[in-house]
Amino acid sequence: MKIAVVLRQVPDVVEELVISDDGRSLSEDDVMYLTNEADDHALEEALVLKARAGAQVTAVSAGGDEAKEALATAVAKGADEAIHVAVPFEHRGDNARLASVLGPMMKSAGYDLILTGVWAADQMDAGLAGGLATQLSLPYVGGLVSMSLDPNGAHAVVRKEFPGGRLGVLEVSLPAVFGIQSAEQPPRYVPVSKVLAAKKALRVREQGEPPAVAAGVRASKLVKSGSEAKAEMLPGAVPQVAEAIVRILRERGIA
Amino acid sequence: MIPREVVVVAEHVGGLLTDVTLEILAGAYEMARSVGWRVTCLILAEDPKPFQALPLAADRVVVVTDPLLGSPNPAAYARVLPHVVKDLSARLVVLGNTSLGIDLAGALSHDLGAPVVSGCVGLRAEGDRIIATSRLCGGKLLAQVEPPGELGIVLVMPGTFHRELGMRDAVPPLDIRSSPVPLDNLPVRFVELQEPKMGDVDVTKASVLIAAGRGVQSKENLVLLEALAKELGGAVCATRPVVDQGWLPRTRQVGRSGMTVKPRLYLALGVSGAPEHTEGMKASGLIVAVNKDPDAPIFDVAHYGATADLLELVPVLTEKIREAKGTQ
Repeated sequence: MKIAVVLRQVPDVVEELVISDDGRSLSEDDVMYLTNEADDHALEEALVLKARAGAQVTAVSAGGDEAKEALATAVAKGADEAIHVAVPFEHRGDNARLASVLGPMMKSAGYDLILTGVWAADQMDAGLAGGLATQLSLPYVGGLVSMSLDPNGAHAVVRKEFPGGRLGVLEVSLPAVFGIQSAEQPPRYVPVSKVLAAKKALRVREQGEPPAVAAGVRASKLVKSGSEAKAEMLPGAVPQVAEAIVRILRERGIA
Repeated sequence: MIPREVVVVAEHVGGLLTDVTLEILAGAYEMARSVGWRVTCLILAEDPKPFQALPLAADRVVVVTDPLLGSPNPAAYARVLPHVVKDLSARLVVLGNTSLGIDLAGALSHDLGAPVVSGCVGLRAEGDRIIATSRLCGGKLLAQVEPPGELGIVLVMPGTFHRELGMRDAVPPLDIRSSPVPLDNLPVRFVELQEPKMGDVDVTKASVLIAAGRGVQSKENLVLLEALAKELGGAVCATRPVVDQGWLPRTRQVGRSGMTVKPRLYLALGVSGAPEHTEGMKASGLIVAVNKDPDAPIFDVAHYGATADLLELVPVLTEKIREAKGTQ
């Protein structure tokens, strides 16, 4: 069983997001990156499957230098192979382009399973997983929270989230692309010392430049939300805030 | 000139259209009316009966039937939709930004050669242009996007438009067709749809909810929130990251794929306010949010907010509520 996991670097939204002077993109100098949360879950799911039935797990990390850091972490966690795909800043978040870069490489590698996050924080297009599936002419199902593989590797039974806490159970022919919502267990923690060790020994394969493709959708304008913030902010330190909340609740007969 | 066609792809469970379907119909209808376009509500189903006399906000309802369209199988939808959308000569296809809608985006984009704008919280037309507003980066950014080309596809966030406006007084004309393509040999088989197993607490029934976000930091800290919930006669619910960590069961999750709640009080503690969470709680009677990040998008939906460390605030708040009750 060969499993590929695609990890994308996305802006860390806990950090200040700065719009660049063009008014339609983020300021490159100010963006801090982290691995897309759902992609991290996709890696965890791959490692769970590997532990359960044995598999060769290839971590494919897309982005700049920070994407190589993500590869060291992935290898420290248990990935067997690391591939870096350089994505220039202006193409970050363009999943259509990324799918066209990854498609040919993945076709020749012959993966049984390709996992990535069902959603990326900086996404405004159709998403990576579905685009990859069409590139590879493979079936795709996303929003998954667990999966099991049949012993001969012909099918996977997957659980897909639907609104209202419902779960759809679907049987999918392999090979397939899956969009992971969350792994069966929380993404594992790996000590920094192990990441540093993995980094030293890391052998990263570079994926070459992509063919020219039409870009996906692009923002004509990018603004920060929240300027229309509605909440009335309660001033003061903790005791004053607590008192204000109690007063509001009592006015409404809640406390 | 023949009016442009907007095709709204419906979702349904147990013969009922979902809320988000009515919401996106409302948004599409309003947009279409502003520029003189038409709206078709497209329903893929095994049986057309439940959908035959609905007063939907659409100029017509097209039901495509096939035994394999009885369940929300993304592979079946992905095979049928491109054919039907082409038949209808659509200018715009509107889907919910839902579990099913997200699955279909890539395939539809490919098969129809059309760009997709996902995460939409706004939609309008000017002349022949379609202008969508997409929410990204945990709700902190809004991007204005004009899908290029003659056909666009948008995925609209649940909660963007009013579901009540998805219905009107009149029943639009109905067109029932069988699937234009055979649905045999699908690579995906829909086995079953499992209803949620309710645990000890049904968060959809609680009148007071104390919501734990990532800011609670550890499972141990939930004790503080439980004590506060007990004092207010409420229950503790959570955002996805908290549930993914295994700190609370899945049945306590509020948001897109979890529960939709409308308590009298929703006290959001350490909740950033990502759109996939707020769509499940923003109809709450009173929303009070506490977060260390003054830019957290939760303050956009809250009525009251405070920039504070919840771990410091909650014990003090619990004590003050206890005192207040004692003086009643």
